[in-house]
Amino acid sequence: MNILEIKDLQMSFGGNHVLQGLDMTVPEHSVFGFVGRNGAGKTTTMKIALGLLKAQQGEVHVCGEKVSYGATKTNRHVGYLPDVPEFYGYMRPKEYLRLCGEITGLSSRQIKTKSEELLELVGLADVNRRISGFSRGMKQRLGIAQALLNEPRLLLCDEPTSALDPIGRKQVLDILSAIRGQTTVVFSTHILSDVERICDRIAVLERGKLVLSGTLGEIQKEHRRNSYSLRFATEQDAQEFAQLGELQKPAITLELEERVLNIVIEDNSIHGQELIDLLSLKKIVPERFESMEPTLESLFAEVVR
Amino acid sequence: MNHYLVFFRKELMEYARTYKLLIILVVFTIFGMTNPLIAKLTPELLAGVMPEGMSITIPEPTALDSWAQFFKNTQQMGMIALVLIFSGVLSSELSRGTLVNLLTKGLSRRAVILAKYSAMLSVWSLSMLLSVALTWIYTVYLFPQDQVGVAYLLFAISCMWLFGAFVLALLLSSSTLVQGNYGSLLLTGLVLVLLLVLNIFPSSQEFSPLSLASQNLEIAAGKIDPSSMYSAVGVTALASLGLIALAVLMFQKKRL
Repeated sequence: MNILEIKDLQMSFGGNHVLQGLDMTVPEHSVFGFVGRNGAGKTTTMKIALGLLKAQQGEVHVCGEKVSYGATKTNRHVGYLPDVPEFYGYMRPKEYLRLCGEITGLSSRQIKTKSEELLELVGLADVNRRISGFSRGMKQRLGIAQALLNEPRLLLCDEPTSALDPIGRKQVLDILSAIRGQTTVVFSTHILSDVERICDRIAVLERGKLVLSGTLGEIQKEHRRNSYSLRFATEQDAQEFAQLGELQKPAITLELEERVLNIVIEDNSIHGQELIDLLSLKKIVPERFESMEPTLESLFAEVVR
Repeated sequence: MNHYLVFFRKELMEYARTYKLLIILVVFTIFGMTNPLIAKLTPELLAGVMPEGMSITIPEPTALDSWAQFFKNTQQMGMIALVLIFSGVLSSELSRGTLVNLLTKGLSRRAVILAKYSAMLSVWSLSMLLSVALTWIYTVYLFPQDQVGVAYLLFAISCMWLFGAFVLALLLSSSTLVQGNYGSLLLTGLVLVLLLVLNIFPSSQEFSPLSLASQNLEIAAGKIDPSSMYSAVGVTALASLGLIALAVLMFQKKRL
């Protein structure tokens, strides 16, 4: 079942067309990385999904229910963590969670047990200071706790790690990873290593549309080019191999750099197996034979070019 | 209703912990204690600064002079303190984004406006009560022989309270109309200046909310019949309710 469905979403601010027919679906129980450059429209999409902004065209469904602007009915399924969460500095973490719980309509006992559990999860159980003295990482973690308070089926996190130091980032990613069984997480980011670390699905937003989406494995498979990197023991071996008549075809591009030969094959009917056959035929043992997997970074650079 | 109570409690906690409540109560306590004193001491202070050999006759101060001080202080410094303390009560939450998070959780926008207005009104009422009580006690103590008509006095005080309620409603609705912390202050100031300008025409005075804050002494002294204030009272009460309704309406449409 799809927990979040976005159909043909269009939105512009002034003359700036931020979203131009965005289609996106998020299946249940996934950790979904929503990737895009700064200003690509990630925050706008989330705000529309929360009913905080009115889309000019298109629909958003959360758990099968249509989101309408200004109304917050669908938000009972959703937990939201803004990019820079702002809390009342004069409150303590427990008091803030109590306020949130009372607004969502939890009973006093539910609030108590749930906040203790969540503060434990985000590592703030022993912190009884006022929020004004919190670091950014602590605020972000409190943000996760308040977003999870009503046991949402969908957690929307807007760049939860962008402003944090490496330790804070690791803590936040670990928490998001830990809750993946209980809730579907959508988090927007432009930090690709975070996506690789915890996401099982990604979508890349560029010029108001998705230019890439699917599971990480699928995407890599789809964009895997028939390309190999071979390192030889000596430069002589490398040159000898590069000059073989079998490799001099228009579909094959060779790139020799000292002992390393990069081979890109445009024709999909030629397999890597043939390279190995060729090596054994010529009795050359390379130091390394590598089939090149596209990195997320190279894919990203390719699709947003 | 539940949201209203929850948010009302949050507002009171905010006033208490950010010292808003303390500041405003201290200001009005000082007024309450000094009003009668200043009235009592004015002749002696004046005599002290007079050059030698010069004498003027000042009538003996009365309890009414003490209340004159009360109305003057509340109308000027009191109102300024009130407006400054509460000017950011909605706009700062909007600009900082603290409200957005709660609104996404389903907090009703109408409850936000109503709770904020009730909380401000409670603080204003408490301040008035404190200031009136202190002025009353000291006046009775310093001017034991004087009699002031209690009914007239209470009516004059109520007029001042209603004017404060009107100013707070104006302030809150302004912050739903314009952006930024100072925008609401500016808009409130502009409306009050406009009312002052309108006051030049005697026929408008009968209906102007400003009359509730400018003729209190005459009312307390029994020089103006309370019935002549009824139209101003009615207009101000209706205007305050109208402004709050406007604030609710505008806030519901506001893009956050």
